[in-house]
Order: sequence, then structure tokens, then C-alpha cells
Amino acid sequence: MEKQIIITIGREFGSAGHIIAETLAKRLGINFYDRKIMDEIAKQNNISDKELAKYDEKPRSRLFSRTVNGYSNSLEDILFEMQSKFITDKADAGESFILVGRCGEKVLGDRKCHISVFVLGDKEEKISRVMDVYSLDRDKAYEMMRSHDKFRKAYHNSRCESKWGDSRTYDLCINSSKLGIETTVDLLEDYVKTRAMGMK
Amino acid sequence: MLAAQIFAIAIFVIMFVLVVMEKFEKHYITLSCGLMTIVLVFGICMRDLNAIIETLNFKSIINAGFWIGEAPESAGIDWATIIFLGGMMIMVEGMAKAGFFRWLCMLLAKSVNYKPIKLFVAFMIMSAILAMFIDSITVILFLAAVTIELAKLLEFNPIPMILSEIFCANLGGSATMCGDPPNIIIGSKLHYSFSDFLTNTGLIAGISLVVMVIYFYLIYSKEIKKQTKNVDTSKMPKPADAIKSKVGFIGSTIIFLIAVVMLITHSTTHLSVAFIGAFVAIITCIFNFKDLKEIMSKVDYKILLFFIGLFVVVGGLEQTGILEAIAEFISKVSGGNIYVMVAIIIWISAIASAFVDNIPFAATMVPIIQGLSAGNPALQATLAWTLSMGTDIGGAATPIGASANVVGTSIAGKNGYPISWGKYCKSAAPAMFIVVLMSMLIIYFRYC
Repeated sequence: MEKQIIITIGREFGSAGHIIAETLAKRLGINFYDRKIMDEIAKQNNISDKELAKYDEKPRSRLFSRTVNGYSNSLEDILFEMQSKFITDKADAGESFILVGRCGEKVLGDRKCHISVFVLGDKEEKISRVMDVYSLDRDKAYEMMRSHDKFRKAYHNSRCESKWGDSRTYDLCINSSKLGIETTVDLLEDYVKTRAMGMK
Repeated sequence: MLAAQIFAIAIFVIMFVLVVMEKFEKHYITLSCGLMTIVLVFGICMRDLNAIIETLNFKSIINAGFWIGEAPESAGIDWATIIFLGGMMIMVEGMAKAGFFRWLCMLLAKSVNYKPIKLFVAFMIMSAILAMFIDSITVILFLAAVTIELAKLLEFNPIPMILSEIFCANLGGSATMCGDPPNIIIGSKLHYSFSDFLTNTGLIAGISLVVMVIYFYLIYSKEIKKQTKNVDTSKMPKPADAIKSKVGFIGSTIIFLIAVVMLITHSTTHLSVAFIGAFVAIITCIFNFKDLKEIMSKVDYKILLFFIGLFVVVGGLEQTGILEAIAEFISKVSGGNIYVMVAIIIWISAIASAFVDNIPFAATMVPIIQGLSAGNPALQATLAWTLSMGTDIGGAATPIGASANVVGTSIAGKNGYPISWGKYCKSAAPAMFIVVLMSMLIIYFRYC
């Protein structure tokens, strides 16, 4: 795309938000960032990416960390700051990209080239998708989905004033169960192109 | 009285929990809880105007002894601690603005020819010495930043150095009355001087520092040595470049030296810590008149408000007799045996301070040790030094135990050197155990 465009995508676990974001990035010919940004952060800082992964998209532990004069020693907070810096550096450099999760809509929210999307899904559809992807039985798939969403919600709401999954937080919320992955991507592509036309 | 006691305890517990949860800023929590203490405990339950007057303690400030001479007996808000802390903060901001701390760190690095092992030992000792006079947050703020800068240039892992600097800052803080907030509270409430601390906790801290330098050297020297590379020292940052203004630098250094001299001699000059704090603040403000707004904006007034609220809440426990009851309980458990009392106070203080803020803990414990000593000055002094070592050193054991630990680990993480609980406690928890055990044995040997 000629104009800079940044799309941040929040998603429910099992809603196929990740694959939708990846496919959309390919179609638009722009970069795609997900948890792999930690590999780059780890490389930049000479840290093990496995060490960092423990603190990714997690709310800070209030019992095991403290803040003094604005200095927080929560590794979750520190990683969030590193990720936010990584993302804003990319955005400041004029790069177009899609970012999955990581409170992207808050970090990049006030930019004119920014579009925020939330992908949700019907409960049964999400469970069956988790069962397929992770080869789990229904109970385990449901438990996995429930616990991931719980963490994502806590992570998001602890760092943003707006609420995770609340339609007022995003430009567009879409239920991927209704249209399927491909058609959801089609719709998002149209939406992004229409928005891009209106961007100066 | 029972209702007042229940409310006083409930408010104290709520305050503690909210402080730990960090949902709201700490000073809002303690001030709100302080207000609740005044209204609910003193006003509604006790209907005692005197308790409110005693706890707010404004009358102490207008007493001449508050500034010079014999300090008046007082309970509740310890205005001397607040004025002293505020004054020292203003002085330290003046020094930081002039580039004093960065200059000192770079000068020391240059004097050891940028050799990482020598740097490691020198920074540990400097951390302890600076923390004797300046709050440990400021010490670590500059020391950790310079350590990381040098580590990147010299290509060594700064984490072992930062961890040992943090521990030594806590240790240095325990050596003097102004080194750590619990000591200011203990000294001010129980009327101990700078030299009282220096000759008692200072001695213990000095011996412990020698042991800790050896301890950290033994566990970390291999890690630092293996990463050492030869560097062109001419390319290293020059100490003089850290000085932002020569006049400001000389002025703030002189003010700092005046503060040190005043503190060391205040038992003979009879100038109170409140006087010293106010004096250094005033001369710093006069000297930095042009940049006054900038300096004042950096002063952490929130911690002062936090203290005011905290003293009122602890005053609630004091006025309702809760702390006296705790003192009686400890006395009963120990059977009046001083060895048991010392062991209980030092280990409970150390373990509690490792996990919760040591300032409210110390503020709560001071009236308890007053109760335990029952007018016996020698016993009170023994328990005061015990409490000081327990709270100051206990706080060093975990990443959340003391403010310096939080700031140090935060700076390291932000610069790409994350320090997990495991990594932190692996060296700091045994170090805490060794120093607390040593302190207990020295106290037994010297005072019991």
C-alpha cells in the first residue's frame, strides 16, 4: 500500500483472529507482527526469547512487583514497554503493518493511519476450532479458551482505560463465525481500503 | 474502647492491603486512611479531641526544642522526619542537577582504570557509602544507569553488579540515621543522634559490608571476569563531561558536605534533624534560585504526604492501646528474655520487610519497642538497633522489599537486562540471611 496504514487486531481465543490478521497482511502486502516481535526484542537486547515469552501478554502481578516514582519492576510491565517502543518505532519510521494483540489500539491509538479491529466468535465455533488446532477434547479446549481469554482481558484492562472486547474500544468488531475466515478477510480488506482512501 | 480498637486495626489493615495492591497512589491511601482514623476512631468512637491534637502533633513544631536543643516527647505525625526528608530531597535534586552523581561514578570508574572486577568492588563500596547520607533510590538511580552504560562499553553483564550495588545500598542505609526511612523514624521518635546510629548500626553495617563484598565477589567474580575485554580507555566517557555547571557543582558539593558535617556533629551542636533538613533545603533553594521551579518539581512530595497519613494511622493504633497490647504479647512470649526479644524483633522485621514496605512496618514497631523497654534506656537502644537492622536488611532480600530494589531492577529491565525474582533472590536472600544472623550475634555479644 502506498499510504502508511497500521491495523491493530484484538481477538478472542479460538476466533481465528490471528490467521485472519496474517492473511490480511499478505493480501495488503504489509508486515505482520505477533508474538514474533519478541524474537526481535530479544535479539536487540541479547536476551533469551524464552525468558521474555513468560511475561508476554500477561497482567502484572501486584503481589510480586512494585512501582516507585514511576519505576515498575514488573517484568510484564517492562516487556510491555519494550514492545510498545518497538511498535511505535516502526510506526514512526512510516512502516505499514498489522499487529495482533499487545494493546496495539492503545499504543498506536491516536494516529490517523491507524485502524483498530476486534475479532470475536461464537462459543461453540471457537471451541471446535481450538479442538482442531490443538487436538484437544471439548472440555480441555473450552478450559484453554476460557483461561486464555481471562488472561487477555486482565492484561488489556490493566493497561488500557477502555475495556477488552467492548465495541467502543475499536473501529470495527467482527464475528468471524458468521462469515468464515476467508470472507471475514474479504470484508476487512474492503473496509481497510475504504478507510485508506479517506486518509490524508 | 473496643470499637475504636476494631476500627483502628481495620483501617490499618485496609491501608496495608491497598498499599500492596497499588490500585491507587500510596499517598492518597494513607491520607484517606489517616482521615478515617481521625473521624471514626478519635472522633466517633473515642470522642477524644486530645487524641486528635496529639496525633496531628502541630504543637511540636512551635516548640524551640524541635529545632535546637532537647526535642519534645511526641506521638503521631513525626514532623521532624517529614521536614528532614523533604530537605534532603531538595538537596539531592540540586546535586543531581549539577551532575554530581554521574561525575562521582565516572571518576571512580576511571580511577580503577575501567577494570570490571575492580569496578564491581568499588561500586559496591561507593553504593554503601553514598547510601549512608543520601536516599538509596537516588544512589541506585545513578549507579545502575552508569553500570549499564559501562557494561555496554566494556561488554560485561551488569546484572551481578546491579544486584550487589542494591544490596550494599540497603546495607549502607542501615549505618546511619538518615540512610533509610525506618532509621529516620526510629532516630527521630526515640531521640537518637546520627553518631548513635553510626557507632551502633554503623559498626554492624561496616563489618557486614566487608563480608558482603567477599560474598558477592565469590559468587559473581567468575561471571564478570569471563566477559572482560580490552578497551580503549580514551574512548570512555570523561568524568568532567558529567558536570553540567561548574558553579552548581561546587555549590551543591559544598552544601552536601555541610549537611554531612551537621549530621555528624548534631549530637554536640544539638541541632535537630528537622533544623538540618530545613537548613540544607533553604541554602539549596537560595543557591539554585534560577532553577528553583525545576528542582521543586522533581521533589517527591508524594512520599512526604504518604508519611503524614501513615503516622496518623499508626497514631490510631497507638492511642487505642493496640501497640501496647502487641508489646505486652511479645514480652509475654519472650518471658522478658532479651535474647528472645531480639531474635523475635530482628527476624520478624527482616521477613516482613522482605515482602511489605518497611516504612509502615518500622513506624508501627517503634511504639512497640518503646512499650517493651518500659523506660529502660539500654533495652530501648538494643531493640532500636535490632529493629533498624531487621527492617533495613530484610528489605534487601527480594525485588519488592525496598524502594532501591524496585528502581534498580526496573532500570536493569528497561535497558534489556530483566531480573526475575529467582535471579534476584538467589544472591540477595542468602545475603540477607547472613547479615541478619551476623547482626543478631553482634547485638547479643555487644548489648545482652
